[in-house]
Amino acid sequence: MSALSERVWPLVVVGGGPAGMAAATEAARAGLRCLLVDDAPALGGQIYRQLPAEFAVRDPGRLGRDHRRGERLRARLVEVGDRVEVRSRTAVLDIVDGRRLVCSSPEGTEWVTAERIVLATGAYDRPLPFPGWTLPGVLTAGGTQALMKTMRVRPGERALVTGTGPLLLVVAGQLHHAGVRVVAVLESGRSAFTAGTAVRAWRQWSLLADGLRYRLELARAGIPVRYHHSVFEAHGDGGLSSVAYGPVDPVDWRPLWQEQQRVDVDLLVVGYGFVPGTDLCELAGCRTEYVHHLGGWVPVRDATMQTSVPGIFAVGDGAGVAGALVAVAEGRVAGITAAEQAGTIGAAQAARRRGRELRRLRSLASVRRALDEISYPRPGLYQLATRSTLLCRCEEVTYAEVSAAIGEGARNLSALKLLTRLGMGACQGRNCAPSTAAILGAETGIGYPDAGRINPRPPVRPVALGTLAKGDGGTR
Amino acid sequence: MTSHGKAVDVVVAGGGVIGCAVAYFAARRGLDVTLVDTPKRGRATSASAGGLWPLGESVGLGCGVIFAKAMKERCGPEATGHPERLPASFLDFALASNALFPGLAEDLRADTGMDVELERTSLLFLMYDDGDVAYARALWDDYPRQRKYFEWLSPGQVAAAEPALTRDVRGALRFLGDDQLNPYRLADALRAGARVRGARIVTHTEVTGVARVGCRVVGVETAGGGIGCDVVVNAAGSWAGQVAAMAGVQVPVSPIRGQIVCTETLPRTLSACVSTTDCYLAQKKHGEIIIGSTTEDVGFDTGTTAAAIRTLSAGAIRAVPGLAHATVKRVWSGLRPGTPDELPILGPVDGVTGYLNACGHFRTGILNAPLTGVVIADLLAGGRPSHPIEPFLLSRFQLPGTPELAPAGAGGSRA
Repeated sequence: MSALSERVWPLVVVGGGPAGMAAATEAARAGLRCLLVDDAPALGGQIYRQLPAEFAVRDPGRLGRDHRRGERLRARLVEVGDRVEVRSRTAVLDIVDGRRLVCSSPEGTEWVTAERIVLATGAYDRPLPFPGWTLPGVLTAGGTQALMKTMRVRPGERALVTGTGPLLLVVAGQLHHAGVRVVAVLESGRSAFTAGTAVRAWRQWSLLADGLRYRLELARAGIPVRYHHSVFEAHGDGGLSSVAYGPVDPVDWRPLWQEQQRVDVDLLVVGYGFVPGTDLCELAGCRTEYVHHLGGWVPVRDATMQTSVPGIFAVGDGAGVAGALVAVAEGRVAGITAAEQAGTIGAAQAARRRGRELRRLRSLASVRRALDEISYPRPGLYQLATRSTLLCRCEEVTYAEVSAAIGEGARNLSALKLLTRLGMGACQGRNCAPSTAAILGAETGIGYPDAGRINPRPPVRPVALGTLAKGDGGTR
Repeated sequence: MTSHGKAVDVVVAGGGVIGCAVAYFAARRGLDVTLVDTPKRGRATSASAGGLWPLGESVGLGCGVIFAKAMKERCGPEATGHPERLPASFLDFALASNALFPGLAEDLRADTGMDVELERTSLLFLMYDDGDVAYARALWDDYPRQRKYFEWLSPGQVAAAEPALTRDVRGALRFLGDDQLNPYRLADALRAGARVRGARIVTHTEVTGVARVGCRVVGVETAGGGIGCDVVVNAAGSWAGQVAAMAGVQVPVSPIRGQIVCTETLPRTLSACVSTTDCYLAQKKHGEIIIGSTTEDVGFDTGTTAAAIRTLSAGAIRAVPGLAHATVKRVWSGLRPGTPDELPILGPVDGVTGYLNACGHFRTGILNAPLTGVVIADLLAGGRPSHPIEPFLLSRFQLPGTPELAPAGAGGSRA
C-alpha cells in the first residue's frame, strides 16, 4: 500500500458508517477524489456492520432490512470506487491545525493532510450507572449488536432488555433470532405507537413502520414489552445471575422501589440511547453546544453541515444522534458541499442535489423529534445509583467520591476530574461524563451546559506505544 | 468603577501550584488572602509529571539532557551535548524546598484530608554510551558535597534494581532524595488548605488589570469587579509577563512547551524515576507511566507533534522494551514559565511597592512551590525571607527600558 501521507487529499472522510459512506459517495459522484478512513475491518459502521469474510451466509434474507440498506450504500460507493480510496483498520487519533490527521493502523502512525474533512465518527452507548452495571453479563445495546453482528456470538441464554427507544425492540428481536430466550423488554418511556406520534410521523411512515414491524415480531415471539419499567439492580457473584426491576414514574422515570420484582437471567442488555462522539471535532477546534434531544454536546453547524472551522464538516450520529436515515442525508449534503468548495461541481448543480437531501432531512426531523421526546432519558433514572455504585469504571470512582467532591465545591466536570480522577481513564470520560453531569445537576441544580466537558486529549483511540514510535516523517 | 480601598491584605494572581502555595502559607500566617484564577490551556501544574528532582534538575537531568542531545543533533560538534548546570544558589533553594515536602504532606493531610501521593522513588540516570558515562563521571567528581545522595550502579545492579529496564546499559547514576508526587493533588491540597486557613479562592475569573496609585499597586481589576489590597503577588506562570505588564513591570517570562505521553494504568514496572538522553519516565502511584518531555519555544501553542511523540515513545521503549505493547492513554503538552537564565523570579521589584513576583519557575514549579510559598509569605508578613532570594530577584536582569512605572493611565492602570 502506498503511503497516505505523500500528498494532500482534497477530502478526507473519517468514519465508514452510513454518514461517512454517503459523504464519500456524493463527493466522488461530484468529481472529488477522497480518502475514507475507518477503524473497523470493513465498511458499514455500527448499524450496517458487515459479517467478517470468514462467515458464509446461507440465507441473506435473514440478515434483515438494515443489512439490505447497508448493501445499497456500499454498492453506490463501489460505483464511484475509482475516486475513493478506502483505508480500513485505521483510526484517526488527532486532528492538528484543522488539516492534518494523525492516522494509526497496524503498520504504524501516519500524517495525512486534507484540504477538507468530513467527520462521521458516530455515537456511543449512553451508560446508566445502577448497582451492578459493571458486572460481566451486563452489556450495552450497541455492544450486544456488535457481538452478534461481527462475531455471531450468542451473548447469553436468558436475557432481559432494558432502556428506551426503538433500538430495544430491534436488539430484542435479534437476540430472539439468535436463539436467546428474551424474558421481557423494559421500556422506561411510553409506547411510540400512538395516534399523536403517527400524525407527526405521517410523512416518514416507513420509520414508524419499521418500529411497528419489530413490535409485532416480538408479540409473535411472546416477548412482553413493559412500558414505564426499568432495571433497578443487577445481581451476581462474578457474573450476572439475576436482575431486580420494576416500574418507574411516568414523568421523571424515578424508580418506584416498592413494586420491585426479580428475574433470573444471565444477560442484561441496557440501551438508554446514544451520545455523539465529538472528540475529533473538539480537537479540530470546532465549536460545540449542548442540545439535549441530540444526545448532548454537538458541533455547531450551518445548513451545509459545515462546522465553525471552515472546511470541516460533521455528519451523522457523531454530530447529533438522529439515526441512519438522517446520517445518510447529512453525509450527502456534506459531500456535495465539499465538492462544490473544491470546484468540481457548479453552485447550481450542488444546490439542486443538496436541496433534495435537505427536504428529506426536514421531513425526517418531525418524526425524529416525536421519538426523541418519548425516549430521552429522564433524570429520575439517576436515582438508581447508590453511594457505592461506580460512576467511572476506568478509574473506579464511586458515587460517594463524586458526591464528596461536589461537597468540596466542585461545580463542573473538569473540577470533578481533578479531585476524583473521574474521566482520567482510557475512555476519557465517554462512559462517565453524561451520567456524572446528570448527578451534578441533581445535587446542585447546575445544568448540563454549565457542567461542561471533560476535554478530549489525543489519542482519541487507545494506541500502542510501539505504534506511536513507528511511522512516517511527521516533520512538523 | 470599583474603588480600590483596601479590601484584603493580599491578592494572589494565578491558581497554579505556586499561587496555591503562596495563598496557603500566607493564610497560615494569618493574612487575609484572595486568590484569583482562571483556567488556561497549557497550565504547567496540570501538565507536569510531578518529579521532585532537586539534584537531577540542577545538573540538567530530566528535560535538560534530552534538550542537550537534540541540540547536538541539530547543531553538530559545536554543541557539547551536555546540559547546562544551574548555579549552587538554585541547588540550595531546591534542596531546601524538597526537604519541606514530608512535613507539608502531613500538614495538608491534617488540614484537608487529602493525600499528595508523595513517593520515595529516587531518580536513575541511565548511561547508554561513552558520552553518558563521561557526563555522569563529571557529576560524581563535581559535586563532592552531594556525594551522599549519589549511588553508582553497575549494569548488573541496574538489572537487579529495575528488571524492566533494558540490559543494554553501561550503568546508572542514582540520585537519592529525588522523588515524586502527584502534582495536581499537591495544587488541590494547597488550594483546599488555603481555604481551610481562611483564604478566599475566586475561580474562573481573569485578572484584567492592576490598579496603581503612583508607584504603589493597590489592587486588581477582574471580570467580577475590583479587589483592593496591600500587595499583589504575581503567580501567573507562563502568563506572568502579562500580569506584570498590567502593573507596569517588565518580567521576562515566556512559555516553553513540553510534550508528554502517558500510558494506561500498568502493573508496577518501575520503582525509580528514570532519566535518559531520550526521555524521562515516571510511573505514578496509580500505575500510569508518564514519558516526557520536549523543550520548545513555540509561544502559547498547546498542541502536540507527531515527531516529538514518536521520539519520546521510541526513547521510552529503548529504556523499557516491554512498553512497546503498552497502550497510550493520552498525549498532551504544557507551557513551562521559562526565564532567560532558567531561574525563578521571586520577590520585590525596585521602584514598585505592593507587588511581589512568584513566577518564572520553568521546570521546577512543583519542586520549588513549598519554599516559594514560605519566602513570599515571609515577605508578605513584613519579615526577611527565611531562605535567601537575592539570586532570584528581577533586578538580576539587565532589561531594556526602565523598570520605572509608565505614566499613570497606561499599562492597565485603572486607579
